[in-house]
Amino acid sequence: MEFLRSRRLYGIILVVLGLVSLPYWASRYWILVILLFSLNLALSQMWNLLAGYSGLISLGQQAFIGLGGYTLGVFSIYYGLPISLSILIGGIISVLFALMISAPIFRMRGVYFAIGTWTVAEVLRILFSNWKYVGYGMGLFIKPAYKLSFNTIYYAALAVGIASVMVVYFILRSKLGLGLMAIRDEETASETLGVDIFRCKLNCFLISAGMTGIVSGVLYLHNIFIQPYSAFGIDWTVRLVFITIIGGIGTIEGPIVGSFLYVLLHQWLSEYPSVSLLILGAIAISVILVAPKGIMGTIQEKLGFEILSPRRK
Amino acid sequence: MLSILNELKVPITNGLLLGGLYGIIGIGMSMIFGIVRLVNLAHGDLIILASYLSLVAMTFFPVNPLFTLIVVIPVMCIIGFIIQYCLLNRILGKGMNPPLLIAFGLSIILQNLLLLIFTPDARTLLTSISVKTIPLGNFLNIPLVYLVDFIVALVSIALLSRFFNRTYMGKAIRAASDDEGAAQLMGINTKTIYAFAMALASGTAGIAGILVGMTFTFYPHTGPEYLIIAFGVVIIGGLGSLLGTFLGGLILGLAQLLGAHFLGPGFQLLSGYLILLIVLTFKPTGLFAKG
Repeated sequence: MEFLRSRRLYGIILVVLGLVSLPYWASRYWILVILLFSLNLALSQMWNLLAGYSGLISLGQQAFIGLGGYTLGVFSIYYGLPISLSILIGGIISVLFALMISAPIFRMRGVYFAIGTWTVAEVLRILFSNWKYVGYGMGLFIKPAYKLSFNTIYYAALAVGIASVMVVYFILRSKLGLGLMAIRDEETASETLGVDIFRCKLNCFLISAGMTGIVSGVLYLHNIFIQPYSAFGIDWTVRLVFITIIGGIGTIEGPIVGSFLYVLLHQWLSEYPSVSLLILGAIAISVILVAPKGIMGTIQEKLGFEILSPRRK
Repeated sequence: MLSILNELKVPITNGLLLGGLYGIIGIGMSMIFGIVRLVNLAHGDLIILASYLSLVAMTFFPVNPLFTLIVVIPVMCIIGFIIQYCLLNRILGKGMNPPLLIAFGLSIILQNLLLLIFTPDARTLLTSISVKTIPLGNFLNIPLVYLVDFIVALVSIALLSRFFNRTYMGKAIRAASDDEGAAQLMGINTKTIYAFAMALASGTAGIAGILVGMTFTFYPHTGPEYLIIAFGVVIIGGLGSLLGTFLGGLILGLAQLLGAHFLGPGFQLLSGYLILLIVLTFKPTGLFAKG
């Protein structure tokens, strides 16, 4: 077992080294693919943390994507702050907003939570498209990001991608993670044993919001243009849901595999985005019907194979 | 006081009439939520699908869109039956989330299918009704299409209410919704009943789709907008009563148009959303829920 674990560790290090050195040996196309993969991975990993581990099906992740992007725009354009600082502020504002809406939103359960979070994002969308300061529906052109090189954005994306996996990994191995798994297995029993359900779920919600805000800052370095209708659109969450379900909801590896498949399919059908969404939707439905644990969840169940185990051995 | 009332008579009348349309938009979702315990996230897209079906029917028979109800309702019923029988029934009893996500996937598939077939252009079901207004006394003009929406919605809901109280199928659906186990013991095949309920709900989506298409422009991606309206109606009205759903529609319609009146037209949707969030927070069972 010890031997296997160290071999797995070397494998992970090798893959990470390969990705870090990618700009030196791969073509620009593949750098772009990995860049998009990392961003999608980071965002879907945060949705997975909510839906897969905390049982909170949120359809409002786009609220934090929009907030992160707009914060980057406002602080870097209007105040001339450094880009890295603006991205961090985006994370902080996302956490504060999540904290603010948590009081009403956590009174809602299950489906009510799903629609409640979605409605909050819709409210933001309308507010931002009627707000002169952020350029109404026209949005903002994030000019300062224009000066960054493609490789800088690649490394930023890779960093948030790896960070998101590590965040989920360490959460799951912490006291919070043990609490979450106890809640998932048996909510009432875990509460009688002293797990603070509200606190556990709230912490996850805040972490997910903050990370999503930061990732979105990096995302809009790449997109360079932010508009309320796309930034606060449900399309983001649609993508995260499909990625996570196909890859395997409630597994760390699921969003990794799912994001890779998503980006490949999306690039392959880049001229027909509606066809690729159609295919993804059909795959997602078949996965829920046939193998509800997704690709990685099914492999884990059948073969007991895990790259990153949340359990302490 | 009188001058305020005079100023508000337009948004109030239009809000109530629009509320009737919202009632028929929400009624199918309310039925499925109450009977199958499922939030059909594809409900808005079913409505828009019906708008497009009516559009297609009108290219074959150039008639008033209201007449296409004869074709659209049965087609929608069949589609609803298939969705429930072949997809959703297979996943019932495995928790709340899988059916929710299947409906979500279905919604995206429908949107993109419509986009592929009909292109992203704005469409509308053109009739002579759309532009006419009728004077009410000499101080108020009502858009005729809003009045037609309201009447069709009211008649449909009244017919549904009769169906649920008088027919065997209606009673069986209510029984399956009240207590699935007991209904099965009484010889009711609840899964088939669920499929019929979804067929019925999709039929109401068909009516809603034609009314929506006559009243507003629609695109392949407008479904989610009506989904949130439907959800708002269901939440405000509460589960379990058709009348409550109708009242929920009226409240939402009023809230939207009064919000637009006071804050500006950009905020029409916003005030509806805020009402929804407030009710969700303080009384998620709805204002008119039974029990």
